[in-house]
Amino acid sequence: MPSALRPWSNNYRARWCSAAVVGACLSIFVSNLSAAEVESLAKRIDRQIEAKYSGPRAPQADDAELVRRTYLDLIGRVPTVEEARAYLSDKSADKRVKLVDRLLTAPEHSRRMTEAFHATLMERRGEHEEWTAFLREAFAKNMAWDELVRHVIDPRDDDPALRGAAFFAVNRLSKVGQQETDYPGLTRDVGRLFLGKDLACAQCHNHLFIDDYKQVDFQGLYTVFLNTAIRTDVKYPALGENLMTKPIEFMSVFDKKPLATGPRVPGLREIAIPTFAKGEEYVSPPDRKTKAMGVPKFSPLEKLAEEITSPKNRAFRENIANRLWWLVMGRGLVDPLDQTHVANPPSHPELLKLLADEMLARKYDLRAVLRELVLTEVYARGSAWNATRGGRPEPATYGTAVAKPLSAEQMYHSYLAASGPHGPKAHNAGALRERFTKAFANPPKEPEIEFAPSVKAALFLSNDDEVLRLTVRDSGNLVDRLVKLAEAKDGGADAAAEELYLAVLSRKPTADERREVGELVTKYANERAKLFGQLTWALLSSTEFCLNH
Amino acid sequence: MKQSEQSPREHATVPAVPHSAFSTRHSPLCTPGEHRLSRRKLLGGAALAGAAAAGGSLGLGSLLAAAETGAIKKKHKQVLFVWIDGGMSQFESWDPKPNTQFGGPFRAIPTSVPGIQISELMPHSAKQMHHLSLVRGMCTKDNAHSSGVGRIQRGDPKNRGVVYPFFGSAVANFLGQGPSGLPPYVWIKPGSGGFIYQDAGFLGPKYGALAFGDGKPPENLLRSERVAPADDDLRNMLRRKANERFAAAHPAEPVEAMDFVYDTARELMKRGDLFDEANFSARDKERYGDTEFGRHMLLGRKMLEAGVTFVKVNSYGWDTHGDNFNGHANLLPKFDRAFASIVEDLAERGMLDDVLVICLSEFGRTPRINGHVGRDHFPEAWSLVTTGTGIRRGVTVGKTNELGTYVSGDEYDIGHLFHTWFAALGIDSKAVEYDNHGQPLPLAHDDCFPIKELLA
Repeated sequence: MPSALRPWSNNYRARWCSAAVVGACLSIFVSNLSAAEVESLAKRIDRQIEAKYSGPRAPQADDAELVRRTYLDLIGRVPTVEEARAYLSDKSADKRVKLVDRLLTAPEHSRRMTEAFHATLMERRGEHEEWTAFLREAFAKNMAWDELVRHVIDPRDDDPALRGAAFFAVNRLSKVGQQETDYPGLTRDVGRLFLGKDLACAQCHNHLFIDDYKQVDFQGLYTVFLNTAIRTDVKYPALGENLMTKPIEFMSVFDKKPLATGPRVPGLREIAIPTFAKGEEYVSPPDRKTKAMGVPKFSPLEKLAEEITSPKNRAFRENIANRLWWLVMGRGLVDPLDQTHVANPPSHPELLKLLADEMLARKYDLRAVLRELVLTEVYARGSAWNATRGGRPEPATYGTAVAKPLSAEQMYHSYLAASGPHGPKAHNAGALRERFTKAFANPPKEPEIEFAPSVKAALFLSNDDEVLRLTVRDSGNLVDRLVKLAEAKDGGADAAAEELYLAVLSRKPTADERREVGELVTKYANERAKLFGQLTWALLSSTEFCLNH
Repeated sequence: MKQSEQSPREHATVPAVPHSAFSTRHSPLCTPGEHRLSRRKLLGGAALAGAAAAGGSLGLGSLLAAAETGAIKKKHKQVLFVWIDGGMSQFESWDPKPNTQFGGPFRAIPTSVPGIQISELMPHSAKQMHHLSLVRGMCTKDNAHSSGVGRIQRGDPKNRGVVYPFFGSAVANFLGQGPSGLPPYVWIKPGSGGFIYQDAGFLGPKYGALAFGDGKPPENLLRSERVAPADDDLRNMLRRKANERFAAAHPAEPVEAMDFVYDTARELMKRGDLFDEANFSARDKERYGDTEFGRHMLLGRKMLEAGVTFVKVNSYGWDTHGDNFNGHANLLPKFDRAFASIVEDLAERGMLDDVLVICLSEFGRTPRINGHVGRDHFPEAWSLVTTGTGIRRGVTVGKTNELGTYVSGDEYDIGHLFHTWFAALGIDSKAVEYDNHGQPLPLAHDDCFPIKELLA
């Protein structure tokens, strides 16, 4: 960000006054503005990061690194060569803010959020068109996170656009081969994904070495899901509930003392199970003929969805704050994301509290919070580290940007954007996307957190025919443009080098890289289409391309 | 001890935790390794550990190693693991009981080792008996296929709430890919292939099997016709240079991991010839038998010769609940030709000194012959065969009673064999432990031990 926009820049503030003094000064001089307007959330985030670490840091990312990062994070692909050029040549002071606002309202943004949250919530267990439709609808209208989660936990089928939310539970409860219906797994994932707590080990006893994970925490959630079943009266994924009349009974495998709990969110009060006169329990009773499950008057799912997302439940807003932070910063404030407990404190406790409180204050408007996150200085920190300055700062200091692996979807969209534009006949989009997913996605149930390159993916990029076709010369595509540029007598090779690096890596080539391209162009003067095909492939298969750094 | 004071490292050895409680009531979800660390974290590290173990110097490893193959190969241990899926009948194979109540119609024949007789259905294996050893005192615990296959191949360790790796993944973990640069664990099987990550259990997907379904190469293995070998060299040279430039100012690990998977992929691609049946000699085809299993065993030999660390070959269809005798009369000769040929070949090439050979099922078959003239599942008393590096040859270990209805004398569970096989590979399974995110885990069942009589 140009320093003109930051009258209270880092250096200035660090040298002359503490953050608290800045705050005080501001409130004196601009007292007619509200606190939020005076200091954006982005700036408050940066203050928290700076307060925690004052060691050596990488400089801010240059325009090229930042534009690539922002495109990948907000719309799930690298910028095209025109988009990269436009940003690099834009001289306006507010170009970063304009870019962020444009990307956040682009249709590709909701696609990106759909893909990111699909991977997070389903962990590659499978896809379903209704589930995708639900996520698309939710992110297209920027549905509040608490509302989205209520749909997922307590899926209803009255709105066809939203009923696909049931797939979250239905997929986990489906029998696969000899695998049993996985109620414990569903319970565990609700804890992991919406509360940031992996309660799996507390199913049969209080957690052995995490003090605050109790068996009752697991059982209070478990009883709600144990009371559900996949509906068989409809074709689409749908979840029904049985009648809940009493608390679940359980005991620790160690001391075997009988215990019981009703539905309960960890840390909150137990939800009372109401009693009804016989025959009065249902809104509509079960129907054996149609196989329709009854609709009980007391819906534990509904209550649980309310309680989990209620302001009483701090874990809920901390979890989404942490996950959104992780999505763009590459590392959770609580790390691992599902290990929120006393023995694993956040790296920046006040920052997590700030983000969680802002989530609530902004009514779980993910887009609004995301906007602030990507406008911070910490987001725009450079990823390169000059070794002459000593060791690279630890990731948790955010002294450099933390590189994130490109997801399968980001790889697919970016591969096309970089090597294209491609005509409609160049590839079969649906099938190719599926093959990218197959090659790059993690095995099912493995959260996609770390960079995990595989032989399978290497073979895919090396030999898949349709992938290879993308780097074969075809009217207007990157290789075609490179061949034409290189034909120019003066500076042709250099222009091609620039086009290539901007298209694939969103940056201009270094002198070294320009020289390499120049030499190759001379050496392969008679086979330039082939040369540029291999060169494009090499950069598309490089580590630099596979990381969002 | 207060539970809260326990660190994860202590989890496995905490005396306050009764193990019986764990094994019977413990949630299958509860994997203590997950308490502190994300799983992917290990994977990232493991990829590099594997790479380092494999090549010594990352990236260049496979190239350097190729020049030294002769010297290193002698030391690199390998495994041939033949899996007879469904349950081979010990009566009709390694432990015949002719002319007894449950013996069935087949005779026993002498072998190349005086005093050892096997079923007349295996004349070729009989000639190789001096290279082989039989364990006739197998007594295991699971009589279901679905759980038994995993239980046996994971060595049936004590339940500690984690999923143990299959033997192939365990060996891949310990021995790495060796000087060949090829994937360390391949699985030749009928049906579909792919990357079978499930085998690896807590070791993580990297140690899963690369399965050659129907004996065919995995998807995308063969170099595309669009890319000539010289072009493939060019593009990979350029990729590598791009990576070097990036690594100058960025963390080395992702670059090393990327180069490692590409190197492995390229080594595999170079060996597309292994899959070409045109390269199988007519004599070999005849000796191994012109059958699916024969072709797969021949491919298995080629994989071992190419330096793959662990080669698993599957034969399916041995679940002879009905018509057991015709079934075995049909299946065993196909098995016999291929198995005897590979043992003969490995012995002839001097490879038995470095290759551990294992052949077994998830259980044996019942003495009782059921109403469909079949034999049912029988884990209580059955046989397996093993040989190769570290194993004594030409002996039998353990025995069944006269009727074959139980093991008389020492019973051996699969855990004993796992200890024995680890020992044969030079891995002290009583001293070495897995480190699952800080949770120490024994390699094999704590209560079992290596079988001394079986070790060379």
